[in-house]
Amino acid sequence: MAQIQERGSTHVYKVSKIAQEEVDSMVSRCVYEDPPFCSAACPLKLDTRAFLQAAASGDLNKALLLYEKVTPFPLVLSSGCDAPCEKKCRLSEIGDAIAIREVEAAVSRYGQAKKASGVFRMRKKQTVAIFGSGLFTLFLAGELEKKMYPLTVFCEEAGFEGFLKAAAGFLDEEAFRLELSRLKGKEIHFEFGCRLTPEFFAEKRAAFDVVCASEEAALRFFPEAVCDPALMIYEAERLVMGCGGKEGNDGATHADGTLGTGKTGVMAAAFGAKKAALTVDRLAQRLDPRNTRGNEGPSESRLYTDLSSATALERVSKAGAVYTREEAVQEASRCLDCHCEECMKSCAFLAHYKKHPGLIGREIYNNTQIIMGDHQLNKPMNSCSLCGQCTVTCPNGFDMAHICRSARRNMVETDKMPLAPHEFALLDMLFSNGEAFLARPQPRSLPYSIVKEREQADAPTDSSSLVPNGVGADTWTDSGSFAPDGAGLDTLAGTCKYVFFPGCQASAIAPATVRAAYEDLCRRLPGGVGLMLGCCGAIASWAGREELTKQTRAFLSQELSRLGDPIIIAGCPSCKKELSEFWPGLILGIWDVLLEIGLPESEAVPSPDSPMGQQAADLLNGNHSDAPEDETDASSDCLHFHGRSVALHDSCGARGDEKTQNAIRELMAQMGIELVETPYSGDRSPCCGYGGLASYANPEVAKEMTDKCLERSDLPYITYCMACRDRFAREGHESRHILELIYGTDAGSPPDISEKRYNRLTLKNTLLTELWQEAPAMQKRDYPLRFTEEARRLMDSRMILTDDVLEVIDELRKTGDAILDQETGLSIACKRVGNVTFWVKFTVEEDGAYLVHSAYSHRMTVVKREG
Amino acid sequence: MPAEKNYYTIDPEGKLTCLKCKVPLVKGKAKFMYLDNGFPVELPVCPVCGFIYVPEELALGKVASVERALEDK
Repeated sequence: MAQIQERGSTHVYKVSKIAQEEVDSMVSRCVYEDPPFCSAACPLKLDTRAFLQAAASGDLNKALLLYEKVTPFPLVLSSGCDAPCEKKCRLSEIGDAIAIREVEAAVSRYGQAKKASGVFRMRKKQTVAIFGSGLFTLFLAGELEKKMYPLTVFCEEAGFEGFLKAAAGFLDEEAFRLELSRLKGKEIHFEFGCRLTPEFFAEKRAAFDVVCASEEAALRFFPEAVCDPALMIYEAERLVMGCGGKEGNDGATHADGTLGTGKTGVMAAAFGAKKAALTVDRLAQRLDPRNTRGNEGPSESRLYTDLSSATALERVSKAGAVYTREEAVQEASRCLDCHCEECMKSCAFLAHYKKHPGLIGREIYNNTQIIMGDHQLNKPMNSCSLCGQCTVTCPNGFDMAHICRSARRNMVETDKMPLAPHEFALLDMLFSNGEAFLARPQPRSLPYSIVKEREQADAPTDSSSLVPNGVGADTWTDSGSFAPDGAGLDTLAGTCKYVFFPGCQASAIAPATVRAAYEDLCRRLPGGVGLMLGCCGAIASWAGREELTKQTRAFLSQELSRLGDPIIIAGCPSCKKELSEFWPGLILGIWDVLLEIGLPESEAVPSPDSPMGQQAADLLNGNHSDAPEDETDASSDCLHFHGRSVALHDSCGARGDEKTQNAIRELMAQMGIELVETPYSGDRSPCCGYGGLASYANPEVAKEMTDKCLERSDLPYITYCMACRDRFAREGHESRHILELIYGTDAGSPPDISEKRYNRLTLKNTLLTELWQEAPAMQKRDYPLRFTEEARRLMDSRMILTDDVLEVIDELRKTGDAILDQETGLSIACKRVGNVTFWVKFTVEEDGAYLVHSAYSHRMTVVKREG
Repeated sequence: MPAEKNYYTIDPEGKLTCLKCKVPLVKGKAKFMYLDNGFPVELPVCPVCGFIYVPEELALGKVASVERALEDK
């Protein structure tokens, strides 16, 4: 039996660092943390989104608190701010931008400012003086007071009113009254009525650690003064000063590039004061004011906003000069609350972990770098379906699959990846490419049998129509695709022009469909059609096991070469994708072929004469009483899709493969099935939960993925990947693989994990017997085995195979090791198989059969301990 | 090595018997091993052949949770 080596010690010190550049380039594609456009445009960096949300919720006090974070005088700022945020509001693209400045003005007026408690506010030791008056001085005084500097303002005005009037004479009466009281409430020492002469300045400056001045005052003290607008400082005198205009404007920051005066200079003055306050900080700490300033001023945002849900496009009109409280709330409610969650909307994995991909991506990368300690992101890393949907839905092409794949490979490489989450799937792959593997050229019993008349009538005359758009298309059409009768006989030499590769899931879930499709291809495709039953290697690749992937690819390449390097006809889009990773030849989908040669004569081709499985089942296990139900000829059942509406679930394996997606749609149209497109179809289709081994590592998330697929439509789903069909049916949703419709087969209810293996083995053995007349090597069990329904259910949920149970019973019969629980009357035996110990609870029936009541397993070994 | 812990008691005494040796299982010393870690425990053991029994509730409970924890180390 195939085995995979469990990883070694828990004390592993190996680290293979993923390049920081790769981490950064992958993670930085996520724009979730980018600021909204309004905030990015604001030189003062107001959290406009949070501000508007607070206002929209009616909490104007909270909104004011946010606004006060960026300005000490909200009414002054909101009266004159030139609102660069509004120009960048995404709503402006389809309607009116939010009247952010108007909302700010209303919030400043109606909101109640929170009294600072002052408990944790320590006054600084360094003292600061400001000389002069005006907007810049007013804002700077407010900023420095907020920073807790002992501050003295020397101005020529006679009192507070005069000082405020000089700065913001444009305020209306009410606003002036409010701001005056705010100014008076600040801990600023004013010296009014000063004569601001150079002598006065020289006399006073020595008493302060840092001195500042309005531009007008600074020029009076130092007529040659030149201000550095980035730092707001006259370097020669280490004098922090306003610059850019009479009002302390900074021309560089003005949105329209002009210097404003009066009201129009408000934003420039406020921003200038912010920069000046930071310079004061640096000077007070005796540091170079140029360093460690962070990102000042407006920035660009890469955020994406979905505008499709925007409805309120018109600005709320105001009755008076200022919005009323209600009007402000209503206007703020129009805010779209710009967040980019495009990937999270459609991905159950990201939705489950409630983290944006930039964050979880970085955490997953970090997870690989832990030397000792818990790898807490192992489970999330193994829960991504690697389907690539996020890369399509993300406006920046974020690639979660790449991150998770690269992390999984890294963990395997450094021997830190636990085997448990993927072992079952990997063993299943080894089973598919071992016991259940089959590679044969077209059998003699199934010759190419298109009658010449039909071929002449039906075959396209323009050979170019046969050329698929894929690479190497010439191989597909050359040497007369539609050869004369009997061409298939050439294949008896052991090579064939094509090989049908249905994929492991198709053989496991719908073996009769695989057989019907294969027989059809043999009859209608000239040049010989071989058959290869096995796994394409996606499982090893998904698990991050590179060595195993390489081995699988080498094995499949060798087997394909033995068949004469045929054109592969894949039955599954994921196989097609995976095979194309290493197979240089042409790979078609069976859908491409059926489009070319046409659907079989009747969509409901009768099922094979000999029902699947029974003969081989008898050979395999004479008394196996639990053979899965055969697929039935359900042609009439399938035909009921004629004229019915169905939903199509695009396979995640066909993402980016428009040709495949279109081929399926065309085939459905030819069958007369009406297709209803669902949201997230085509390239945006989500994964059913099978991809990336999510269903093995995290069944809970995988189920959420399935539910996410199913919530798109109540109609029956048509799939072109057997795994999708299986997972949907498992959730009780009617679903059919397109090949079931084409060949009139019905795979019936979803098989359990043991039946899936059994189906693969039985398909192989039946075909060997019936098509190739070979006697398969099969082991016969000489005792009957039965399961209670409960045991079947438990085994399926606990990933325990019938084969595992058989191993235990074989061992029991060999050694007699078992115990009896007299309370339940059940005997219990066990066996270590590979890395797992299986326990089986059973009774022996009158006829000598073993009736299994339950089974469980653990990975730990248990040994006797002396002393 | 941490002190041994007893996660399972045979209750009532004698309800478990070894099918091969026809004797009741007794409390015996055993050790769980996983990924190079060892955990001394007491489990029902056949006093004659030494067969160690891991009850279902223990395997699916404590054992499974320790396995998960060690796998993520």
